[in-house]
Amino acid sequence: MDQLFEIISPNFLLRNSFYAGLVIGLVCPQVGIFFVLRRMLLMGIALPQVSNAGITFAFLLHTLGWHFFPHVESEKAMALTGSIIFTLFAIFLLAILERKGKGFTENRIGLTYAIAGAASILFVSWNPYGHSEAISLLKGEIVTIPDVYFWSTLAIYGVIFIFLTGFHRNFMLISFDNDMAVAMGKKVIVWNILLFLIIGIVISFGVMAVGPMVIFGFLLLPAITAKMITRGIFPFCIISSVIGVFAAFTGFYISYRFDLPTGPIDIALLGIIFFISCLIKIVIPKNRTH
Amino acid sequence: MDKILGMDEKSCIDLKNVSIGYYGIPIIKDVTFSITRGDAIVLLGQNGSGKTTLFKTILRIIPPLQGNVVYNNTPPVRFGYVPQSQSLDEIYPFTALDIVLMGTFGQIKPFSITPKKNRILANQCLMDVGMLESRKKLFSELSGGQKQRVLIARALAASPNILLMDEPITGIDADAIKMIIELIAMLHKKHSLTVMMITHESFNIPSWINKTIQIRNNEVVVENAR
Repeated sequence: MDQLFEIISPNFLLRNSFYAGLVIGLVCPQVGIFFVLRRMLLMGIALPQVSNAGITFAFLLHTLGWHFFPHVESEKAMALTGSIIFTLFAIFLLAILERKGKGFTENRIGLTYAIAGAASILFVSWNPYGHSEAISLLKGEIVTIPDVYFWSTLAIYGVIFIFLTGFHRNFMLISFDNDMAVAMGKKVIVWNILLFLIIGIVISFGVMAVGPMVIFGFLLLPAITAKMITRGIFPFCIISSVIGVFAAFTGFYISYRFDLPTGPIDIALLGIIFFISCLIKIVIPKNRTH
Repeated sequence: MDKILGMDEKSCIDLKNVSIGYYGIPIIKDVTFSITRGDAIVLLGQNGSGKTTLFKTILRIIPPLQGNVVYNNTPPVRFGYVPQSQSLDEIYPFTALDIVLMGTFGQIKPFSITPKKNRILANQCLMDVGMLESRKKLFSELSGGQKQRVLIARALAASPNILLMDEPITGIDADAIKMIIELIAMLHKKHSLTVMMITHESFNIPSWINKTIQIRNNEVVVENAR
Protein backbone atom coordinates (compact mmCIF):
# COMPACT_ATOMS: atom_id res chain seq x y z
CA MET A 1 0.00 0.00 0.00
CA ASP A 2 2.91 2.32 0.78
CA GLN A 3 4.13 1.91 -2.77
CA LEU A 4 0.72 2.91 -4.08
CA PHE A 5 0.86 6.16 -2.09
CA GLU A 6 4.43 6.66 -3.24
CA ILE A 7 3.39 6.34 -6.90
CA ILE A 8 0.61 8.90 -6.66
CA SER A 9 2.77 11.31 -4.66
CA PRO A 10 3.66 14.50 -6.67
CA ASN A 11 7.34 14.00 -5.80
CA PHE A 12 7.52 10.44 -7.11
CA LEU A 13 10.74 10.01 -9.11
CA LEU A 14 9.08 8.16 -12.02
CA ARG A 15 5.97 10.36 -12.08
CA ASN A 16 6.45 11.25 -15.77
CA SER A 17 6.32 7.59 -16.77
CA PHE A 18 3.32 6.98 -14.54
CA TYR A 19 1.27 9.94 -15.83
CA ALA A 20 2.34 9.37 -19.45
CA GLY A 21 1.03 5.82 -19.14
CA LEU A 22 -2.31 7.08 -17.80
CA VAL A 23 -2.62 9.63 -20.62
CA ILE A 24 -1.82 6.96 -23.21
CA GLY A 25 -4.34 4.63 -21.55
CA LEU A 26 -6.97 7.36 -21.81
CA VAL A 27 -6.36 8.63 -25.36
CA CYS A 28 -5.13 5.62 -27.37
CA PRO A 29 -8.39 3.64 -26.96
CA GLN A 30 -10.30 6.66 -28.35
CA VAL A 31 -8.22 6.35 -31.51
CA GLY A 32 -8.36 2.56 -31.34
CA ILE A 33 -12.16 2.53 -31.58
CA PHE A 34 -11.80 3.84 -35.14
CA PHE A 35 -9.31 1.07 -35.95
CA VAL A 36 -11.85 -1.49 -34.72
CA LEU A 37 -14.97 0.07 -36.26
CA ARG A 38 -13.35 0.89 -39.61
CA ARG A 39 -11.88 -2.63 -39.69
CA MET A 40 -8.31 -1.33 -39.79
CA LEU A 41 -6.92 -3.56 -37.03
CA LEU A 42 -3.98 -4.66 -39.15
CA MET A 43 -3.06 -1.04 -39.73
CA GLY A 44 -2.88 -0.69 -35.95
CA ILE A 45 -0.14 -3.33 -35.97
CA ALA A 46 1.80 -1.98 -38.96
CA LEU A 47 1.83 1.74 -38.17
CA PRO A 48 3.61 1.54 -34.77
CA GLN A 49 6.25 -0.58 -36.52
CA VAL A 50 6.61 2.08 -39.22
CA SER A 51 6.91 4.73 -36.52
CA ASN A 52 9.64 2.65 -34.89
CA ALA A 53 11.48 2.45 -38.24
CA GLY A 54 11.32 6.27 -38.41
CA ILE A 55 12.84 6.53 -34.94
CA THR A 56 15.70 4.12 -35.65
CA PHE A 57 16.36 5.87 -38.98
CA ALA A 58 16.63 9.20 -37.15
CA PHE A 59 19.07 7.66 -34.63
CA LEU A 60 21.15 6.43 -37.55
CA LEU A 61 21.22 9.89 -39.15
CA HIS A 62 22.21 11.38 -35.81
CA THR A 63 25.12 8.96 -35.47
CA LEU A 64 26.25 9.79 -38.99
CA GLY A 65 26.43 13.43 -37.93
CA TRP A 66 23.29 14.78 -39.62
CA HIS A 67 21.87 17.07 -36.96
CA PHE A 68 18.84 19.04 -38.10
CA PHE A 69 18.14 20.46 -34.66
CA PRO A 70 20.19 22.15 -31.90
CA HIS A 71 22.40 19.61 -30.21
CA VAL A 72 20.60 19.70 -26.85
CA GLU A 73 18.26 16.69 -26.91
CA SER A 74 18.75 16.73 -30.67
CA GLU A 75 18.55 12.96 -31.12
CA LYS A 76 15.14 12.91 -29.38
CA ALA A 77 13.78 15.73 -31.54
CA MET A 78 15.12 14.01 -34.65
CA ALA A 79 13.66 10.69 -33.55
CA LEU A 80 10.25 12.26 -33.04
CA THR A 81 10.45 13.96 -36.42
CA GLY A 82 11.45 10.67 -38.04
CA SER A 83 8.58 8.91 -36.30
CA ILE A 84 6.02 11.50 -37.45
CA ILE A 85 7.28 11.65 -41.06
CA PHE A 86 7.43 7.87 -41.50
CA THR A 87 4.02 7.31 -39.87
CA LEU A 88 2.16 10.06 -41.74
CA PHE A 89 3.75 9.03 -45.04
CA ALA A 90 2.72 5.40 -44.49
CA ILE A 91 -0.81 6.20 -43.31
CA PHE A 92 -1.59 8.51 -46.22
CA LEU A 93 0.02 6.16 -48.77
CA LEU A 94 -2.03 3.24 -47.43
CA ALA A 95 -5.18 5.39 -47.40
CA ILE A 96 -4.64 6.53 -51.01
CA LEU A 97 -3.99 2.97 -52.21
CA GLU A 98 -7.09 1.84 -50.32
CA ARG A 99 -9.17 4.55 -51.99
CA LYS A 100 -7.86 3.62 -55.42
CA GLY A 101 -8.57 -0.05 -54.66
CA LYS A 102 -5.11 -1.22 -55.76
CA GLY A 103 -4.45 -4.79 -54.61
CA PHE A 104 -5.60 -6.35 -51.35
CA THR A 105 -5.56 -4.41 -48.08
CA GLU A 106 -4.04 -7.32 -46.14
CA ASN A 107 -1.18 -7.61 -48.65
CA ARG A 108 -0.36 -3.91 -48.44
CA ILE A 109 -0.42 -3.83 -44.65
CA GLY A 110 1.49 -7.12 -44.31
CA LEU A 111 4.16 -5.78 -46.66
CA THR A 112 4.35 -2.50 -44.72
CA TYR A 113 4.76 -4.37 -41.43
CA ALA A 114 7.47 -6.68 -42.77
CA ILE A 115 9.47 -3.90 -44.44
CA ALA A 116 9.17 -1.57 -41.44
CA GLY A 117 10.24 -4.35 -39.04
CA ALA A 118 13.22 -5.29 -41.18
CA ALA A 119 14.21 -1.64 -41.71
CA SER A 120 14.11 -0.99 -37.94
CA ILE A 121 16.51 -3.87 -37.27
CA LEU A 122 18.84 -2.84 -40.09
CA PHE A 123 18.95 0.81 -38.99
CA VAL A 124 19.77 -0.32 -35.44
CA SER A 125 22.42 -2.81 -36.54
CA TRP A 126 24.22 -0.07 -38.51
CA ASN A 127 24.09 2.21 -35.51
CA PRO A 128 25.46 1.02 -32.16
CA TYR A 129 24.66 4.43 -30.62
CA GLY A 130 20.90 4.04 -30.98
CA HIS A 131 20.89 0.33 -30.17
CA SER A 132 20.09 0.53 -26.48
CA GLU A 133 17.43 3.22 -26.99
CA ALA A 134 15.72 1.24 -29.75
CA ILE A 135 15.82 -2.04 -27.84
CA SER A 136 14.35 -0.27 -24.81
CA LEU A 137 11.54 1.08 -27.00
CA LEU A 138 10.87 -2.35 -28.50
CA LYS A 139 10.66 -3.91 -25.02
CA GLY A 140 8.31 -1.19 -23.82
CA GLU A 141 10.37 -0.16 -20.81
CA ILE A 142 8.56 2.97 -19.73
CA VAL A 143 11.05 4.01 -17.08
CA THR A 144 12.43 7.44 -17.75
CA ILE A 145 10.54 10.00 -19.75
CA PRO A 146 12.26 13.44 -19.78
CA ASP A 147 10.15 16.44 -18.70
CA VAL A 148 10.15 18.00 -22.16
CA TYR A 149 8.85 14.78 -23.62
CA PHE A 150 6.24 14.27 -20.98
CA TRP A 151 4.82 17.79 -21.30
CA SER A 152 4.81 17.72 -25.11
CA THR A 153 3.08 14.30 -25.08
CA LEU A 154 0.58 15.60 -22.54
CA ALA A 155 -0.14 18.72 -24.64
CA ILE A 156 -0.48 16.83 -27.92
CA TYR A 157 -2.59 14.01 -26.45
CA GLY A 158 -4.72 16.55 -24.57
CA VAL A 159 -5.49 18.50 -27.74
CA ILE A 160 -6.23 15.28 -29.62
CA PHE A 161 -8.52 14.01 -26.87
CA ILE A 162 -10.48 17.28 -26.86
CA PHE A 163 -10.68 17.14 -30.66
CA LEU A 164 -11.85 13.54 -30.75
CA THR A 165 -14.55 14.10 -28.16
CA GLY A 166 -15.63 17.50 -29.51
CA PHE A 167 -15.96 16.29 -33.10
CA HIS A 168 -16.93 12.74 -32.16
CA ARG A 169 -20.20 12.90 -34.14
CA ASN A 170 -18.50 13.93 -37.37
CA PHE A 171 -15.79 11.27 -37.09
CA MET A 172 -18.43 8.60 -36.40
CA LEU A 173 -20.71 9.74 -39.21
CA ILE A 174 -17.99 9.77 -41.90
CA SER A 175 -16.79 6.36 -40.70
CA PHE A 176 -20.22 4.71 -40.55
CA ASP A 177 -22.05 6.25 -43.50
CA ASN A 178 -19.90 8.27 -45.84
CA ASP A 179 -22.76 8.92 -48.29
CA MET A 180 -25.07 10.23 -45.60
CA ALA A 181 -22.30 12.56 -44.40
CA VAL A 182 -21.87 13.96 -47.93
CA ALA A 183 -25.63 14.32 -48.33
CA MET A 184 -25.65 16.31 -45.07
CA GLY A 185 -23.01 18.65 -46.47
CA LYS A 186 -20.06 17.40 -44.40
CA LYS A 187 -16.61 17.81 -45.93
CA VAL A 188 -15.81 14.11 -45.77
CA ILE A 189 -12.30 14.32 -47.27
CA VAL A 190 -11.26 16.97 -44.73
CA TRP A 191 -12.60 14.93 -41.81
CA ASN A 192 -10.91 11.76 -43.09
CA ILE A 193 -7.56 13.57 -43.46
CA LEU A 194 -7.99 14.98 -39.96
CA LEU A 195 -8.70 11.54 -38.53
CA PHE A 196 -5.64 10.02 -40.23
CA LEU A 197 -3.50 12.94 -39.01
CA ILE A 198 -4.70 12.29 -35.45
CA ILE A 199 -3.96 8.57 -35.79
CA GLY A 200 -0.48 9.34 -37.16
CA ILE A 201 0.39 11.83 -34.41
CA VAL A 202 -0.94 9.64 -31.59
CA ILE A 203 1.11 6.70 -32.83
CA SER A 204 4.27 8.79 -33.42
CA PHE A 205 4.30 10.39 -29.98
CA GLY A 206 3.15 7.20 -28.28
CA VAL A 207 5.82 5.03 -29.85
CA MET A 208 8.48 7.58 -28.86
CA ALA A 209 7.23 7.48 -25.28
CA VAL A 210 6.47 3.79 -24.71
CA GLY A 211 7.36 1.79 -27.84
CA PRO A 212 5.41 0.09 -30.63
CA MET A 213 4.18 -2.95 -28.70
CA VAL A 214 2.58 -0.93 -25.90
CA ILE A 215 0.95 1.51 -28.32
CA PHE A 216 -0.43 -1.34 -30.39
CA GLY A 217 -1.85 -2.93 -27.24
CA PHE A 218 -3.46 0.27 -25.96
CA LEU A 219 -4.89 1.11 -29.39
CA LEU A 220 -6.63 -2.18 -29.94
CA LEU A 221 -7.20 -4.27 -26.81
CA PRO A 222 -9.36 -1.81 -24.80
CA ALA A 223 -11.56 -1.11 -27.83
CA ILE A 224 -11.95 -4.80 -28.72
CA THR A 225 -12.81 -5.64 -25.10
CA ALA A 226 -15.26 -2.75 -24.72
CA LYS A 227 -16.96 -3.67 -27.99
CA MET A 228 -17.67 -7.09 -26.54
CA ILE A 229 -19.19 -5.99 -23.23
CA THR A 230 -21.08 -2.80 -24.06
CA ARG A 231 -24.23 -1.84 -25.93
CA GLY A 232 -24.44 1.49 -27.70
CA ILE A 233 -21.71 3.77 -29.00
CA PHE A 234 -21.45 6.00 -25.91
CA PRO A 235 -20.75 3.20 -23.39
CA PHE A 236 -18.37 1.65 -25.93
CA CYS A 237 -16.24 4.81 -26.07
CA ILE A 238 -16.29 5.42 -22.31
CA ILE A 239 -15.49 1.84 -21.31
CA SER A 240 -12.61 1.68 -23.83
CA SER A 241 -10.82 4.49 -22.05
CA VAL A 242 -11.76 3.19 -18.58
CA ILE A 243 -10.10 -0.14 -19.45
CA GLY A 244 -7.05 1.69 -20.84
CA VAL A 245 -6.56 3.88 -17.76
CA PHE A 246 -7.20 0.96 -15.38
CA ALA A 247 -4.59 -1.20 -17.14
CA ALA A 248 -2.05 1.66 -17.21
CA PHE A 249 -2.53 2.40 -13.49
CA THR A 250 -2.56 -1.20 -12.28
CA GLY A 251 0.23 -2.17 -14.69
CA PHE A 252 2.50 0.56 -13.38
CA TYR A 253 1.82 -0.43 -9.77
CA ILE A 254 2.56 -4.12 -10.42
CA SER A 255 5.65 -3.22 -12.40
CA TYR A 256 6.96 -0.93 -9.63
CA ARG A 257 6.04 -3.32 -6.84
CA PHE A 258 7.66 -6.40 -8.40
CA ASP A 259 10.36 -4.68 -10.49
CA LEU A 260 9.03 -5.83 -13.86
CA PRO A 261 8.98 -3.99 -17.24
CA THR A 262 5.87 -1.79 -17.35
CA GLY A 263 4.90 -2.15 -21.04
CA PRO A 264 4.59 -5.95 -21.13
CA ILE A 265 2.75 -5.90 -17.77
CA ASP A 266 0.24 -3.38 -19.18
CA ILE A 267 -0.36 -5.54 -22.24
CA ALA A 268 -0.64 -8.72 -20.16
CA LEU A 269 -3.24 -6.97 -17.98
CA LEU A 270 -5.19 -5.85 -21.06
CA GLY A 271 -5.08 -9.46 -22.25
CA ILE A 272 -6.40 -10.73 -18.90
CA ILE A 273 -9.22 -8.15 -18.97
CA PHE A 274 -10.06 -9.29 -22.50
CA PHE A 275 -10.23 -12.97 -21.51
CA ILE A 276 -12.29 -12.23 -18.38
CA SER A 277 -14.69 -10.26 -20.59
CA CYS A 278 -14.90 -13.22 -22.97
CA LEU A 279 -15.78 -15.50 -20.04
CA ILE A 280 -18.40 -13.07 -18.75
CA LYS A 281 -19.88 -12.87 -22.24
CA ILE A 282 -20.09 -16.68 -22.43
CA VAL A 283 -21.39 -17.21 -18.90
CA ILE A 284 -24.05 -14.47 -18.85
CA PRO A 285 -26.96 -15.41 -21.14
CA LYS A 286 -27.42 -13.04 -24.06
CA ASN A 287 -30.94 -11.99 -23.06
CA ARG A 288 -29.69 -10.71 -19.69
CA THR A 289 -27.57 -8.11 -21.43
CA HIS A 290 -30.59 -6.75 -23.34
CA MET B 1 -26.19 25.17 -58.05
CA ASP B 2 -28.81 27.70 -56.95
CA LYS B 3 -32.13 28.47 -58.58
CA ILE B 4 -31.70 29.73 -62.13
CA LEU B 5 -33.89 31.58 -64.58
CA GLY B 6 -36.19 29.35 -66.60
CA MET B 7 -36.62 26.79 -63.82
CA ASP B 8 -40.22 25.80 -63.19
CA GLU B 9 -41.40 27.31 -59.87
CA LYS B 10 -42.88 23.96 -58.83
CA SER B 11 -39.85 21.85 -59.62
CA CYS B 12 -37.28 21.42 -56.88
CA ILE B 13 -34.59 19.59 -58.85
CA ASP B 14 -33.90 19.78 -62.60
CA LEU B 15 -31.48 17.49 -64.40
CA LYS B 16 -30.43 18.89 -67.78
CA ASN B 17 -28.42 16.76 -70.21
CA VAL B 18 -26.62 15.12 -67.31
CA SER B 19 -24.09 12.34 -67.84
CA ILE B 20 -23.34 10.20 -64.81
CA GLY B 21 -20.63 7.70 -64.04
CA TYR B 22 -17.30 7.16 -62.31
CA TYR B 23 -13.71 8.15 -63.15
CA GLY B 24 -14.84 9.98 -66.30
CA ILE B 25 -16.57 6.91 -67.73
CA PRO B 26 -20.29 7.57 -68.28
CA ILE B 27 -22.88 4.95 -67.35
CA ILE B 28 -25.87 6.98 -68.57
CA LYS B 29 -25.80 10.02 -70.88
CA ASP B 30 -28.21 12.90 -71.55
CA VAL B 31 -30.44 12.46 -68.53
CA THR B 32 -33.11 15.17 -68.49
CA PHE B 33 -36.03 15.25 -66.08
CA SER B 34 -37.50 17.31 -63.24
CA ILE B 35 -38.52 16.42 -59.74
CA THR B 36 -41.55 18.46 -58.74
CA ARG B 37 -42.69 19.23 -55.21
CA GLY B 38 -45.03 16.50 -53.98
CA ASP B 39 -43.85 13.96 -56.53
CA ALA B 40 -43.83 10.28 -55.66
CA ILE B 41 -41.28 8.74 -58.00
CA VAL B 42 -40.04 5.22 -58.54
CA LEU B 43 -36.69 4.67 -60.22
CA LEU B 44 -36.62 1.31 -61.99
CA GLY B 45 -33.83 -0.59 -63.64
CA GLN B 46 -31.87 -3.81 -63.59
CA ASN B 47 -28.91 -4.43 -61.31
CA GLY B 48 -25.91 -2.40 -62.46
CA SER B 49 -28.01 -0.14 -64.69
CA GLY B 50 -26.93 3.02 -62.81
CA LYS B 51 -29.90 3.61 -60.49
CA THR B 52 -27.77 4.18 -57.39
CA THR B 53 -25.27 6.29 -59.36
CA LEU B 54 -28.12 8.52 -60.55
CA PHE B 55 -29.37 8.74 -56.97
CA LYS B 56 -25.96 9.71 -55.66
CA THR B 57 -25.60 12.33 -58.37
CA ILE B 58 -28.89 13.91 -57.31
CA LEU B 59 -27.70 13.77 -53.67
CA ARG B 60 -24.43 15.55 -54.65
CA ILE B 61 -22.42 12.55 -53.48
CA ILE B 62 -21.01 12.05 -57.01
CA PRO B 63 -20.50 15.03 -59.34
CA PRO B 64 -22.10 14.77 -62.79
CA LEU B 65 -19.65 14.14 -65.63
CA GLN B 66 -21.55 16.54 -67.87
CA GLY B 67 -24.61 18.77 -67.70
CA ASN B 68 -26.24 20.43 -64.72
CA VAL B 69 -28.25 19.36 -61.72
CA VAL B 70 -30.16 22.48 -60.65
CA TYR B 71 -31.62 22.78 -57.15
CA ASN B 72 -34.42 25.25 -56.48
CA ASN B 73 -33.47 26.99 -53.28
CA THR B 74 -36.81 28.55 -52.37
CA PRO B 75 -37.29 26.77 -50.03
CA PRO B 76 -33.86 25.08 -49.87
CA VAL B 77 -33.76 21.42 -50.78
CA ARG B 78 -33.19 19.28 -47.68
CA PHE B 79 -32.52 15.64 -48.42
CA GLY B 80 -33.45 12.69 -46.31
CA TYR B 81 -31.39 9.77 -47.52
CA VAL B 82 -32.16 6.10 -46.89
CA PRO B 83 -29.26 3.92 -48.09
CA GLN B 84 -29.42 0.19 -48.68
CA SER B 85 -29.25 -1.24 -45.18
CA GLN B 86 -26.79 -3.92 -46.34
CA SER B 87 -24.31 -1.19 -47.20
CA LEU B 88 -23.93 -0.25 -43.51
CA ASP B 89 -21.38 -2.17 -41.45
CA GLU B 90 -22.95 -3.95 -38.49
CA ILE B 91 -19.74 -3.85 -36.47
CA TYR B 92 -20.75 -0.39 -35.19
CA PRO B 93 -22.51 -0.79 -31.83
CA PHE B 94 -25.22 1.76 -32.62
CA THR B 95 -28.65 1.41 -31.08
CA ALA B 96 -31.70 2.30 -33.16
CA LEU B 97 -31.85 5.63 -31.29
CA ASP B 98 -28.13 6.33 -32.02
CA ILE B 99 -28.83 5.78 -35.72
CA VAL B 100 -31.82 8.12 -35.78
CA LEU B 101 -29.92 10.80 -33.85
CA MET B 102 -27.43 10.88 -36.74
CA GLY B 103 -30.12 12.55 -38.79
CA THR B 104 -29.93 15.52 -36.40
CA PHE B 105 -26.12 15.86 -36.48
CA GLY B 106 -26.37 18.74 -38.94
CA GLN B 107 -28.17 20.77 -36.25
CA ILE B 108 -25.83 20.03 -33.32
CA LYS B 109 -22.76 22.17 -32.63
CA PRO B 110 -19.42 20.49 -31.89
CA PHE B 111 -18.36 20.17 -28.24
CA SER B 112 -21.97 20.00 -27.06
CA ILE B 113 -24.05 17.18 -25.67
CA THR B 114 -27.08 16.08 -27.67
CA PRO B 115 -29.82 18.67 -26.98
CA LYS B 116 -33.09 17.45 -25.49
CA LYS B 117 -35.09 18.68 -28.50
CA ASN B 118 -33.02 16.43 -30.78
CA ARG B 119 -33.74 13.42 -28.59
CA ILE B 120 -37.46 14.29 -28.64
CA LEU B 121 -37.33 14.62 -32.44
CA ALA B 122 -35.50 11.29 -32.81
CA ASN B 123 -38.03 9.55 -30.56
CA GLN B 124 -40.88 11.13 -32.53
CA CYS B 125 -39.39 9.86 -35.79
CA LEU B 126 -39.01 6.38 -34.29
CA MET B 127 -42.66 6.55 -33.22
CA ASP B 128 -43.70 7.60 -36.75
CA VAL B 129 -42.12 4.47 -38.18
CA GLY B 130 -43.40 2.22 -35.37
CA MET B 131 -39.97 1.51 -33.87
CA LEU B 132 -40.06 3.47 -30.61
CA GLU B 133 -40.13 0.34 -28.44
CA SER B 134 -37.01 -0.99 -30.17
CA ARG B 135 -35.00 2.20 -29.72
CA LYS B 136 -32.51 0.60 -27.33
CA LYS B 137 -31.93 -2.45 -29.52
CA LEU B 138 -28.69 -2.65 -31.45
CA PHE B 139 -29.10 -1.91 -35.17
CA SER B 140 -27.31 -5.19 -35.95
CA GLU B 141 -29.98 -7.13 -34.00
CA LEU B 142 -32.92 -5.79 -36.03
CA SER B 143 -34.60 -7.62 -38.92
CA GLY B 144 -34.27 -6.32 -42.48
CA GLY B 145 -37.67 -4.57 -42.37
CA GLN B 146 -36.94 -3.02 -38.95
CA LYS B 147 -33.58 -1.72 -40.19
CA GLN B 148 -35.31 -0.04 -43.12
CA ARG B 149 -37.80 1.61 -40.80
CA VAL B 150 -35.00 2.88 -38.53
CA LEU B 151 -33.15 4.27 -41.57
CA ILE B 152 -36.34 6.00 -42.72
CA ALA B 153 -36.66 7.48 -39.22
CA ARG B 154 -33.06 8.72 -39.47
CA ALA B 155 -33.85 10.38 -42.79
CA LEU B 156 -36.95 12.01 -41.24
CA ALA B 157 -34.89 13.33 -38.32
CA ALA B 158 -33.02 15.54 -40.80
CA SER B 159 -36.37 17.34 -41.38
CA PRO B 160 -36.21 16.75 -45.13
CA ASN B 161 -38.50 17.95 -47.90
CA ILE B 162 -37.23 15.26 -50.29
CA LEU B 163 -36.90 11.65 -49.20
CA LEU B 164 -34.60 9.49 -51.34
CA MET B 165 -34.64 5.76 -50.65
CA ASP B 166 -32.26 3.25 -52.19
CA GLU B 167 -34.07 -0.10 -52.54
CA PRO B 168 -36.07 0.15 -49.31
CA ILE B 169 -38.01 -3.04 -50.06
CA THR B 170 -35.21 -5.26 -51.29
CA GLY B 171 -34.30 -8.34 -49.29
CA ILE B 172 -37.21 -8.23 -46.85
CA ASP B 173 -40.27 -10.47 -46.49
CA ALA B 174 -43.71 -9.79 -47.98
CA ASP B 175 -45.24 -8.50 -44.72
CA ALA B 176 -42.35 -6.13 -44.16
CA ILE B 177 -42.63 -4.87 -47.77
CA LYS B 178 -46.32 -4.11 -47.23
CA MET B 179 -45.52 -2.30 -43.97
CA ILE B 180 -42.72 -0.22 -45.53
CA ILE B 181 -44.86 0.75 -48.56
CA GLU B 182 -47.70 1.83 -46.26
CA LEU B 183 -45.24 3.79 -44.14
CA ILE B 184 -43.83 5.63 -47.16
CA ALA B 185 -47.38 6.39 -48.39
CA MET B 186 -48.23 7.80 -44.97
CA LEU B 187 -45.10 9.97 -44.89
CA HIS B 188 -45.75 11.18 -48.43
CA LYS B 189 -49.23 12.31 -47.44
CA LYS B 190 -48.78 13.35 -43.80
CA HIS B 191 -45.50 15.27 -44.22
CA SER B 192 -46.17 16.32 -47.86
CA LEU B 193 -42.79 14.81 -48.67
CA THR B 194 -41.45 14.50 -52.16
CA VAL B 195 -40.52 10.85 -52.36
CA MET B 196 -38.17 9.05 -54.72
CA MET B 197 -37.26 5.41 -54.33
CA ILE B 198 -35.24 2.87 -56.20
CA THR B 199 -36.52 -0.61 -56.77
CA HIS B 200 -36.02 -3.36 -59.30
CA GLU B 201 -39.29 -5.02 -58.35
CA SER B 202 -41.72 -3.44 -60.80
CA PHE B 203 -44.63 -5.57 -59.48
CA ASN B 204 -44.44 -3.78 -56.12
CA ILE B 205 -45.10 -0.26 -57.41
CA PRO B 206 -47.91 1.26 -55.34
CA SER B 207 -50.84 3.08 -56.93
CA TRP B 208 -50.01 6.48 -55.42
CA ILE B 209 -46.76 6.75 -57.40
CA ASN B 210 -47.17 9.53 -59.98
CA LYS B 211 -43.96 9.16 -61.96
CA THR B 212 -41.74 6.26 -62.98
CA ILE B 213 -38.21 6.71 -64.24
CA GLN B 214 -36.89 3.67 -65.98
CA ILE B 215 -33.30 3.01 -66.97
CA ARG B 216 -33.18 0.79 -70.07
CA ASN B 217 -30.11 0.19 -72.23
CA ASN B 218 -28.25 3.15 -70.69
CA GLU B 219 -31.15 5.50 -71.39
CA VAL B 220 -33.61 7.13 -69.03
CA VAL B 221 -37.33 6.97 -69.83
CA VAL B 222 -39.71 9.09 -67.73
CA GLU B 223 -43.38 8.15 -67.57
CA ASN B 224 -46.10 10.03 -65.74
CA ALA B 225 -48.38 7.53 -64.10
CA ARG B 226 -51.35 9.82 -63.47
